[in-house]
Amino acid sequence: MNLKTWIKTITFYELLAGMKATMSHLLHYRPITLQYPHEKRTLPDNYRGMLALLRYDDGTEKCVGCDLCEAACPSRVIRVVSAEVPGEPTKRYSKEYYMDMTRCLFCGMCVDACPVDALGMTREFEWAVYDKRQLHLNKQQLLAIGDRSFPVREEQLEFQHPNVAFFNVAFKHLPQKPS
Amino acid sequence: MTELSLRLAVSLAQIAAVMGIVMLTVMILTLAERKVLGWMQDRMGPMEVGPYGILQPIADGLKLFFKEDIVPAGANKAMFTLAPLLAMVPAMIGFAVIPFGPSVTLDAFGITIKPFVISDINIGILYILAFASIGAYGIILGGWSSNSKYSLLGGLRSAAQVISYELNVGLAIVGVLLLAGSLSLVTITEAQAGGFWHWFIWGARPDGFFPIHTQIFAFVVFVISAVAETNRVPFDLPEAESELVAGFFTEYSGMRFAFFFIAEYANMVLVSCVAASLFLGGWNAPYPGTILGYVGLERLAWVENVAWFTFKVYLFLFLFFWLRATLPRLRYDQLMRFGWKVMLPIALANIVVTAITAYFFPRG
Repeated sequence: MNLKTWIKTITFYELLAGMKATMSHLLHYRPITLQYPHEKRTLPDNYRGMLALLRYDDGTEKCVGCDLCEAACPSRVIRVVSAEVPGEPTKRYSKEYYMDMTRCLFCGMCVDACPVDALGMTREFEWAVYDKRQLHLNKQQLLAIGDRSFPVREEQLEFQHPNVAFFNVAFKHLPQKPS
Repeated sequence: MTELSLRLAVSLAQIAAVMGIVMLTVMILTLAERKVLGWMQDRMGPMEVGPYGILQPIADGLKLFFKEDIVPAGANKAMFTLAPLLAMVPAMIGFAVIPFGPSVTLDAFGITIKPFVISDINIGILYILAFASIGAYGIILGGWSSNSKYSLLGGLRSAAQVISYELNVGLAIVGVLLLAGSLSLVTITEAQAGGFWHWFIWGARPDGFFPIHTQIFAFVVFVISAVAETNRVPFDLPEAESELVAGFFTEYSGMRFAFFFIAEYANMVLVSCVAASLFLGGWNAPYPGTILGYVGLERLAWVENVAWFTFKVYLFLFLFFWLRATLPRLRYDQLMRFGWKVMLPIALANIVVTAITAYFFPRG
């Protein structure tokens, strides 16, 4: 041990350097924390929050019951019961749609998988509940989340022609494709 | 008979006042520690209860008061109940001999009252050390009687640690006792009057400036050992959260836990008072006399002295928080090696050097 190290040891040099660091933080006090329930942080644009089912501007559901989201989900959150639209044998929709949000890891794969953009990720994150059964959401609840989070709805596009079976349910109320 | 009952009443009033001040300080400390730690770590600390969280200690106290009092299965109930009391009473009782202000006397109702010290006994510092050792029994018994492995390990660690470091505390103050020629804290404080160069940390003789009797090494040993004795970071092995859950009070809840908690903070205040009295001149201002005395308000000079004492004590308490915000916990073997192979030789060498200098350059 040379002299310099020895002097550093007996004067507690390292400890004093550490204490200087904490003291400088005390003197230049700028908290980086937020008082959460009172002030909330700005969420990033691509924030992936609560999942929701979406509607078109005329209020019809986008979902065509194709089950791709169920297949894409890594955590088996989603369960879709697909059915024919009553009276429209070529059209399908999701008769029942369940999400078990206790298992969801918010990866967004279901949203990517959806061919009709019927799923969306909202910016809601305060979903703490006392009973975890409340996180087992059905179709009505998911649609309600979508309604309150995406008030501006997408128009039904022109190419959603009634003759194209894959796209959707509520073709009856659509204006006909201009020829 | 009337004189005796009068003395009793005065003593009880003094005890009540000191207890009140100590409990108030403990309340302030619980908040101040969280705040200071928060600020040092770029956080805010408690902010919810009251403006800027200043009512947090009251909320904590109420919470602990109304919590369920759990006694673990297989615990020795008598010892389990006794342990928090054994920890808290010695921490409180030490304040009886601390001089909080100048040693003026008051003649009232035909008896002489010393308003700033409850009892000026001639073995003051020895009495504090003796009761501090009893406090260790509270921790050991609490650890043993809980019937939990974490508590037991915390208690055992505490036993070894307190024995190791109490020795250093005892030896570190010997130099001061040699110089002051007394064990009474009142006499020791009075021996340091007349400016900061007469404080024992600096150690000038009463007629000079040269620090011939400096006790700075003893001071460093005392402060480090005091931190270890009060089980504070970086010597908090008895309660080591990351290893032993909460150490000796893992199984405690409600008011019993609060007793241990208060005992820890009261011990901090006590060692700060002792350090201020022994090394930093106690209630003496760092200049000769008092400013209020110079401007002709001798009757109010005690205000300035008490303010200086409070300032010194809070300086030490801030040091405790500062250390906690900075340093990681020592390993057990490091703790023991530091205590026995570093602190103890320094304390012993300090006694020898102080004795020699005090012999050749006696203090007046």
